[in-house]
Amino acid sequence: MSYELTIEPIGEVIEVEEGQTILDACLRAGIYIPYQCNHGLCSTCKVDVVEGDVDIGDASPFALMDFERDDGKVLACVCTLESDVVIEADIEEDDDAEYLPICDYTGTVSEITDLTSDVKKIIISLDEEIEFQAGQYIQLNIPGVDGPRAFSIANSPDKADHVELHVRLVPEGKGTSYLHGKLAEGDALSFSAPYGHFFVRKSQNKPMIFIAGGTGLSSPKAMIDELLADGYGQKLTLFHGVRSKADLYYQDYFTALAEKHDSFAYIPALSDKKDGDDWDGETGFVHEAAERFFDGSFAGHQAYLCGPPPMIEASIRALMKGRLFENDIYCEKFLSKADGTGDKRSPLFKRI
Amino acid sequence: MAEKRKKKLGIKQRYSMLTRGLGWDTTYQPMDKVFPYDNYEGIIIHDWEGWEDPFRLTMDAYWKFQSEKEKKLYAVIDSFAQNNGHLGITDARYVNAIKLFLTGVSPLEYQAARGFTHVGRQFRGVGPRVACQMQAIDELRHVQTQVHSMSHYNKYFDGLHSAPHMHDRVWYLSVPKSFFDDARTAGPFEFLTSISFAFEYVLTNLLFVPFMSGAAFNGDMATVTFGFSAQSDEARHMTLGLEVIKFMLEQDERNIPIVQRWMDKWFWRGTRMLTLVAMMMDYMLPKRVMSWREAWDIYFTEAGGALFADLARYGIKPPKYADIATKEAEHLSHQAWHIFYNYTHAAAFHTWIPEKEELDWLSEKYPNTFDKYYRPRLEYLDKEEKAGRRFYNDTLPMLCQVCQIPMGFTDMDDPTTISFEVSEYKDDKYHTCSLGCKDIFDYEPEKYVQAWLPVHQIYQGNCGGAEVPDVLKWYNFNLGADNMEYKGSPDQKLWDEWQAHRKKA
Repeated sequence: MSYELTIEPIGEVIEVEEGQTILDACLRAGIYIPYQCNHGLCSTCKVDVVEGDVDIGDASPFALMDFERDDGKVLACVCTLESDVVIEADIEEDDDAEYLPICDYTGTVSEITDLTSDVKKIIISLDEEIEFQAGQYIQLNIPGVDGPRAFSIANSPDKADHVELHVRLVPEGKGTSYLHGKLAEGDALSFSAPYGHFFVRKSQNKPMIFIAGGTGLSSPKAMIDELLADGYGQKLTLFHGVRSKADLYYQDYFTALAEKHDSFAYIPALSDKKDGDDWDGETGFVHEAAERFFDGSFAGHQAYLCGPPPMIEASIRALMKGRLFENDIYCEKFLSKADGTGDKRSPLFKRI
Repeated sequence: MAEKRKKKLGIKQRYSMLTRGLGWDTTYQPMDKVFPYDNYEGIIIHDWEGWEDPFRLTMDAYWKFQSEKEKKLYAVIDSFAQNNGHLGITDARYVNAIKLFLTGVSPLEYQAARGFTHVGRQFRGVGPRVACQMQAIDELRHVQTQVHSMSHYNKYFDGLHSAPHMHDRVWYLSVPKSFFDDARTAGPFEFLTSISFAFEYVLTNLLFVPFMSGAAFNGDMATVTFGFSAQSDEARHMTLGLEVIKFMLEQDERNIPIVQRWMDKWFWRGTRMLTLVAMMMDYMLPKRVMSWREAWDIYFTEAGGALFADLARYGIKPPKYADIATKEAEHLSHQAWHIFYNYTHAAAFHTWIPEKEELDWLSEKYPNTFDKYYRPRLEYLDKEEKAGRRFYNDTLPMLCQVCQIPMGFTDMDDPTTISFEVSEYKDDKYHTCSLGCKDIFDYEPEKYVQAWLPVHQIYQGNCGGAEVPDVLKWYNFNLGADNMEYKGSPDQKLWDEWQAHRKKA
């Protein structure tokens, strides 16, 4: 049994399991509600219940006052749902979020292409058009695999009749093994979308830096395609880090894009250049390439990071060393199903 | 498709609409003269608007919340008193933890109120100023409610009658007092780093929480309720600690080394002060919560580790000497209890040799050190006491110039050698207990040569007289009741009578 929780003012709707706390459900869905003690004592995670029935749980009488209980306030860290519920929380509204509803889609695989030895491009042509923000992802149902798998959409939202996915083969990964080994053109697939808060904050009108690792290129590609098509007036710089020349894809595409648009720069970097690689570009880790390009100073930019957790962490450190902080850093960590929930973190940072 | 919703202001926007425009730039006098302290520490702030209000509470709402908290707390305190709650505690020895808290910690709440009142005037940014002013009121509430919660014990037990007076004079209470004096006499940013960050955020789980869970484990419901009431304020205080650190680190990179030095300093001063808590947890609670070693592992090594891993993104390193502090967690409580066992004739609480099963618990919790170094010593002292030769140390100890703890701690790699360091300043020698304290002294010697060291002051004749009883009278001690061994104390006698009555009934 699960309930629907609507979170105002952002209007996001998430599923909450029976017995699961509001805070837990929100954090797992990527929605940050300020919190501290996580067991009903400190009142940092206080939210308003606007509609629906809840069990306020074991909230301390000193953290949740009687008059607040009467006013429908609860502590998200101990409150569970007894019906579909609408809450209002201390979440900053994002001017660039479109809050698109999540829908189920069906479609047919119209193209499977090898981008590298272990990355395939898969295009799903849709039965009906999709609405999403560049950078968001889908939850793909894979035949014979328990639970959906997340993949970022690599095409711009104005191409609404299909989604393009970049799928790296995860060794012994059930989902990606199927997509690489068994999926064929003409197969039917279904997914739900759009998910995530990884989209461009155009309204702030700042120059943007994109740092992508491996197939983390997909979201930045969608973002850059859309920004250039819209004539965004600020500089865009894309760094794409891969191991060797053989792992690099879409090089021609972005090189051509950079020739066409003065406002766009493209810097691929090889971290593990092979002896035979024909390469005179950047080598080393992708965040190091970014540091060299910007001479270690990132202030005044916005950064979008997409890729495996170590790349994200190294990039965050490089950016912060270059005086760019949490308010201007957005990231999408690529976790495979085996990665779990990650390390223990302090409450110092909210999103990064 | 979802229908178009009417846009509502978020809580942050509502708060800023409600509070904006409360500050202004002065024109009769230059801002630098009106706020002379917020830049002399070297902290560079480019944009005070970059301060994010760590909590969004209007004064109006604040009073409403705090008054309900008070109502609830005082209802519990009243019922504790009416139901003779003191009879429900595990053992009268527990009250000694309360004595230590009331004389050592509660006055710090008052010191914090003074400190936040001061810095609440000194920041030119409105955000931090308001945050500090609210915290100042919280702290005043805390000291008041603590005194009220614990005053019930003063009707029956000794040593609880003169907490503020003792805090200003008694030798071991100069350890927490000098910590706060040091913080309050620093600049406003260092004050927030020391109190809001190091004390309220990094170390609070090792100070406040052990006392409160100790109270819960030992049947002291009044103190537990006070703890809950305060914890709902502490969340705001901790958030302030994190915000001030982020604010300084993000405003200018030249702030980073200054913040690092303050973190090193206040981490070390904090761990030194926590010695009192370590001893309380391992020795003074009849029913134990966890060992100091376990608390250190959970709250510093794990939780602090996660924090410093995040701070590393700013280029901040874990506090200097954190490795030594972690080694000390195996030894600190035992060495501190030994010091107090030596000097309990000059302390406002009792000490004792733990019962056999308590010694066994310590052996189990400290397999690397307790049986090897500390148990034999306690068993020897026990034998001496039973033979009528309870040991009291009649000489006065030398104190560390910085943390003011008697210099009885050992080298952590060689627990039979006393550790000390020497600095020279203007042809005088100054002694510190550790490299951590020596670094602090050497960076600001002019500040620490002024330290009011209780033992020096006694020898200089500034503490009531030349003999120990003169000094203790000057401390306001009731001799023979407040001090000395627990066994045979009036506290124990009264408790035993109550237990005998209960058996009869």
